[in-house]
Amino acid sequence: MFSKLKIKGGRPKQTNSNTSELARREQRLAYTLLLPTFIILALIAFYPLGQVFYTSFTDKTFASGEKTHFIGFDNYKRLLSITIKELPPIIDEKTGKQKIDPRTGEKLYERAIRVLPRKPIRYRELTQFSLFGKRYVIGATDRDFIQAIWNTISFTVISVLAETILGLGIALVMNSNFKGRGIMRATMLVPWAVITVVSARIWEFMLAPSRIGFFNMIFEKLGIGDGNMVFLSNKSIALPTLIIVDVWKTTPFMALLILAGLQLIPKSIYEAAKVDGASPIRQFFSITLPLLKPSLAVALVFRTLDALRVFDIFQVLLAQKTYSMASYNYYQLIGNRAMGLASAIGVIIFIIIFGFAVLYMKLLGVDTE
Amino acid sequence: MRNKGLIEVIKKGLFWLLVIIIFIYLVFPFYWAINSSLKSEAQLQMTPATFVPRDPETYKFAPTLQNYRAVFSNDKFVRGLINSAIVSMLTTLLALAVGSVSAFALGKLRFKGKTLSLYLILAMTMFPQVTVLSGLYAVINHLGIKAIPSMILSYMLFTLPFTTWVMTSFFKSLPNELLQSAQVDGATPFQTFYKILLPLTAPALVTTGLLSFIAAWNEYLFALTFTSIEPTARTVPVAIALFTGEVSRQIPFGEIMAAAVIVTIPLVVLVLIFQKRIVAGLTAGAVKG
Repeated sequence: MFSKLKIKGGRPKQTNSNTSELARREQRLAYTLLLPTFIILALIAFYPLGQVFYTSFTDKTFASGEKTHFIGFDNYKRLLSITIKELPPIIDEKTGKQKIDPRTGEKLYERAIRVLPRKPIRYRELTQFSLFGKRYVIGATDRDFIQAIWNTISFTVISVLAETILGLGIALVMNSNFKGRGIMRATMLVPWAVITVVSARIWEFMLAPSRIGFFNMIFEKLGIGDGNMVFLSNKSIALPTLIIVDVWKTTPFMALLILAGLQLIPKSIYEAAKVDGASPIRQFFSITLPLLKPSLAVALVFRTLDALRVFDIFQVLLAQKTYSMASYNYYQLIGNRAMGLASAIGVIIFIIIFGFAVLYMKLLGVDTE
Repeated sequence: MRNKGLIEVIKKGLFWLLVIIIFIYLVFPFYWAINSSLKSEAQLQMTPATFVPRDPETYKFAPTLQNYRAVFSNDKFVRGLINSAIVSMLTTLLALAVGSVSAFALGKLRFKGKTLSLYLILAMTMFPQVTVLSGLYAVINHLGIKAIPSMILSYMLFTLPFTTWVMTSFFKSLPNELLQSAQVDGATPFQTFYKILLPLTAPALVTTGLLSFIAAWNEYLFALTFTSIEPTARTVPVAIALFTGEVSRQIPFGEIMAAAVIVTIPLVVLVLIFQKRIVAGLTAGAVKG
């Protein structure tokens, strides 16, 4: 059984009834072993998830007795409709040329609101850009959600990348033999062990916009800023700040999973490499990294999944100012009681996450077979 | 010769410098929480903030335990600690038991529909918690499950796919020769699983166990929902979130920080106990070559 079968499978065809009997038994065993997992998931996942799909096509209101109607793809249309329109230049009637702002010297264009469609739902301006001397505007029917998708994806990409690199570094240090390793391994998990909501509060306090906060206190001592820096309400630094908080919080997750993966690499391989005269860097790239790939891939998949669903820190630190996909979902469900719309958001998040997961498997060559 | 010794010393020094930097990076915000938890309301408002609690007038070292006293005299918090311990422990055990059995099948056995199973299990955890909440609540209500078991069951939504996937990748990385030699010795697949493979994946079991335990210990939204009609079953995150200032509606930062410290210390102790299990070289020597 097991790999023996694999070896046999690789040979020229062998019609051995014994083998197929074994294969059948192996298959039966596999299904039996998977059964408990699927029973639990059926119990807690199939109905709730099915309901999310169904509700996303209705106009259901949360916690109310109002009648629900089937509305097809309307929720999705409302959330995802995007349009790009060209902005016509404002022509000066006297010269026949485009008007120019006398103060900034910039060319003037028609206001976006006059170009974007209003029916059946009003489009709002998302952003503008110039291409080949023409000016375009991107409009969306649900500006906040599109912005939330963008926020979440950039948050995910940057923070997961940083966490992986930092986590790998920390894991490599923890993997070497030194005194006090045990204590370091325990402290390594401290950030992950602090309850998320509470760690958001700790950071909120450290980031306080006056010198009662640690960062303003230290920045002032170092001569940076005036001691009244606003980290969380300033739109341009809010997201980077959030990424720093998240990286601190979840690097241990990556580091521990990578460390466990490192433990599975037999030491004998390194000894052999040393005998052959491979440098540590060479050893890292030709032994550690390839052998670490499976555990690294799984860690990456779960970390990315989690980052795409980020909720707590957006909710606590940025309140309703900047949304992540999940906190926008929460706002629509609890704040607006738009359950149908919230379900559609859930489905869209699911699809985005699924896309990421498949991409990872392909890119990292995780063989699921 | 002397030169070589010097290089060694520099290397060692740099290594320890790195360890210290990592240590400070990981621990500092937690240290700040400890520091804040030992400050009174007036000390928390001091500008500039101080690295240790200091008296606002004399500037002498003056920590206070009043926040800890307040937290411990709050029986909702103490009960929350017990509830959290029960829920997280049972969640972890259930997820490990069920997940590692599946992971053995997914990592080492050959059967039809393996890819589909893996994706299906992963897909369960791809919805944001908020979205699943109402449906899950309906199921739990319909089955008439009490608050504590319902939390354990609903936490499976994120711990079970996680343990299954991580353990699958670990089982896969174990050499097949192990299984073959066991089979030659006449072991049934199940014996091979729990007598040979399971002990070898101890580091992975401990790692996933710790991560799942912490995830369950941290969970807030499900706990808040499922304990809404049974307040005695509230877990620690919910208890902390429901802290309110005694005087005004202002957030009691000192108390929240004290609670954070109290809640984190058991986990650090737990990791200290178990970290020996994440020991190097468990598989080394198990297989020749």
